[in-house]
Amino acid sequence: MITLAGITKRYGSTVALSDVSFTARQGEVLGLLGQNGAGKTTALNIITGCLAPSAGRVTVGGHDLIREPRQARRLIGYLPEVPPLYDEMTVRAYLRFACELKLVVPADIPAHVEEIAAHTGLKQMLGRRIGNLSKGYRQRVGLAQALCGDPEVLILDEPTSGLDPRQTAEFRETLREQATGRTVLFSSHILSEVQALCDRVIILHHGKIILDSDLKQLQSGGALRLRADIQGDAKVLLPALRSLAGVRRVTQLPDEGDTLSVLLECTQDGCPQRTLFTLLSGLNAPLLRLQPVESSLEEVFLKITSEG
Amino acid sequence: MRAIYKRELQSFFCTPHAYVFTGVFLLLGSVFFAVGNLAAHSSDLNGFLWNAGYLWMLLTPILTMHVYAGERRAHTDRLLFSSPVSLWGVSLGKYLAAITVLGLTVFLSLIYAGLIAIYSRLYPGEALCGYLGFALQGSAFIAIDLYVSARSRTPVTAAIWAFGVNLLLWLADVLSSAVSSDLLQRALAFISPYQRCVPFRFGQLSAANTLYFIAVSALMLFLTVRTLDARRWREA
Repeated sequence: MITLAGITKRYGSTVALSDVSFTARQGEVLGLLGQNGAGKTTALNIITGCLAPSAGRVTVGGHDLIREPRQARRLIGYLPEVPPLYDEMTVRAYLRFACELKLVVPADIPAHVEEIAAHTGLKQMLGRRIGNLSKGYRQRVGLAQALCGDPEVLILDEPTSGLDPRQTAEFRETLREQATGRTVLFSSHILSEVQALCDRVIILHHGKIILDSDLKQLQSGGALRLRADIQGDAKVLLPALRSLAGVRRVTQLPDEGDTLSVLLECTQDGCPQRTLFTLLSGLNAPLLRLQPVESSLEEVFLKITSEG
Repeated sequence: MRAIYKRELQSFFCTPHAYVFTGVFLLLGSVFFAVGNLAAHSSDLNGFLWNAGYLWMLLTPILTMHVYAGERRAHTDRLLFSSPVSLWGVSLGKYLAAITVLGLTVFLSLIYAGLIAIYSRLYPGEALCGYLGFALQGSAFIAIDLYVSARSRTPVTAAIWAFGVNLLLWLADVLSSAVSSDLLQRALAFISPYQRCVPFRFGQLSAANTLYFIAVSALMLFLTVRTLDARRWREA
């Protein structure tokens, strides 16, 4: 649905994006992660046509953004980091304007505005001036604007930034509902948000893609990690566990009484459950719990960006 | 373009800009009319139109300062640039909205011609021609100041720069009659929008001068579009 091929953006001698290429498939929710200044907003501005790339090509729904801007932009709904709101307008007038910009058939506009307002929780606010709305509602109006014209692609730049936890939760819920059936590309540095909403993650670092991965695959980290709670003496058990085949690292977790809790990081193709059982039964140490552990996105992000 | 035009026009009347523009124009216009026509017992509209022409220099920056610079400051330009509307559509919509406010102001100022027609004698052809030149002059100032607004980061700097540019055009007019060099005099008179209005005031519908005002507006619209386009390549 969205394809970036070799996108580079330079501001004088500063390279904001360097040879960035990826494809967002139809119906996919893709999170763009990165530290401040990594190039996330620049990438989104290029995809929406607000910025022109120094090199490379963007296509949206098969339409080249430079050669066929009208067709490409018709498919896009964009909520920038600062919602593009006209304070002097009412919510209804603003959404009507957004619909007209997105070339919605004039006769369909009133019903379309009502529908979007209902979906984004703005029905009671349609007659209010945007300048008088709270931050949370302003963000909702921004999202409603992006939904005008029923775009196939939704692009959101840090959509929950500045919202309080309750507003964030409500906004996320609305977003989750509206993402169904659309290609959604959003940037964030709130990792839990990406974890909650995305199918796939791209991490940008200093303008380059350093990771493009399915979220589940990313969290499993490729290699298996197991948490084991074992009853027994740590002095005996730890050396034995460290010598186990298929185990790369053993980390002791905080103890609970006479129970030893450890995190076993396995080698890439290691699967030590069978040998672990054998070892522990030989040591007469009962295994109370054994469960796989997923890496948090935060761990992965910190690891990758510190390496990158 | 229609959507942009409607929104911009609505914005002019939802904010003080159109009211200040029209109100101050009519207030100062009334002073010119009272002094130049009522107190002087004159039915000649020439003086009024000549003096009122200088009001554009002062007032068009008020109307145009927010048009692009305000959008840039409020980040609403992102909505326009990401929508399936061309930059020409954006620029024409905004220009025509400002021209509508200017047209309304010129229309309201016809009251002075009406008063002369009621209480004295008015030559309709001459008056209409004078008003046409006056409106064309205003539309050229609007186009110039919109271009300045497109180049500015904030509405205040847009207003200051626009006023500065308008002042330079007035200086060109003043200097055109002060310099000794014939070539320079002709060059300054060529670019002066004030000199271009003189034939209209005497009832001459001058094609060359009409074309001049249209060409200035078209050139400024073109430069505005180029400026907006160039920003997509430069901005962070």
